[in-house]
Amino acid sequence: MPEDSKRPDEKNLPRFRPATDILERADGFYLYLDLPGVSRENLVLDVKDAELMVSGRTDYRFEPEERLLESEFGNVEYVCSFTLSDIVDAESVTANLRNGVLEIFIPKTSKTIPRRIQVEYQGE
Amino acid sequence: MVIDFGGFGRPYRLINELWKPSFLSQQSLAYPPLNLSENASAIYVRAEIPGVGPDDLDLVLTEKNLIVKGERRVEKGRYFRQERPAGGFQRMVALSAPVDADNVRALLRDGLLTVVLPKAQPKSPRKILVQHG
Repeated sequence: MPEDSKRPDEKNLPRFRPATDILERADGFYLYLDLPGVSRENLVLDVKDAELMVSGRTDYRFEPEERLLESEFGNVEYVCSFTLSDIVDAESVTANLRNGVLEIFIPKTSKTIPRRIQVEYQGE
Repeated sequence: MVIDFGGFGRPYRLINELWKPSFLSQQSLAYPPLNLSENASAIYVRAEIPGVGPDDLDLVLTEKNLIVKGERRVEKGRYFRQERPAGGFQRMVALSAPVDADNVRALLRDGLLTVVLPKAQPKSPRKILVQHG
């Protein structure tokens, strides 16, 4: 385990992009991000222009005199960003953090219907 | 497309972990990742299992092992990207000391499972009386 994992206040935690699922349902797009160990207080979600930015830090603590025998994870900072197109309603993005999974819901906007572009094909 | 990939230069977790020699063992590729530690009073087992509720999780304590098993459910919809692990998982932890099975506590918070296994108090050595034949 890296040294800084014992000090969550340390600025330079290793940074990772969280494992993410992106899926579409009838009402809009759903993003699921694995953010184990990130509490609501340590999660930052920003929408700026067409950019959705997510960052969060884990805050794993140890019991007194605890000695690690085997370590496969430590404190990290999760960072990722997504670009939203104009067919979604960026104003009404909702987010819900539960059990270490962040669910972001991006509804489709009702007013703009994307125009389909016909691809012309010219035979030889 | 609505959602763009968040830049190609961003590090991916597994790649990063493989850079560290301590993560090169096959163990690190098993799911879920575990931390095992102890102090004088207890053994601590911690696992990162985001999205798993208490109902989908099964903890079994045997004489010498703790078994963590469960299932990660899949959301329904049309997938554009799927990186989160899904399906059943199981890991077994060998316990280095006898534990007080009645006082084991397990806590699930923010996707982190913490199991505290208090060490059993060692029985005081008993003197055996040798009798004359």
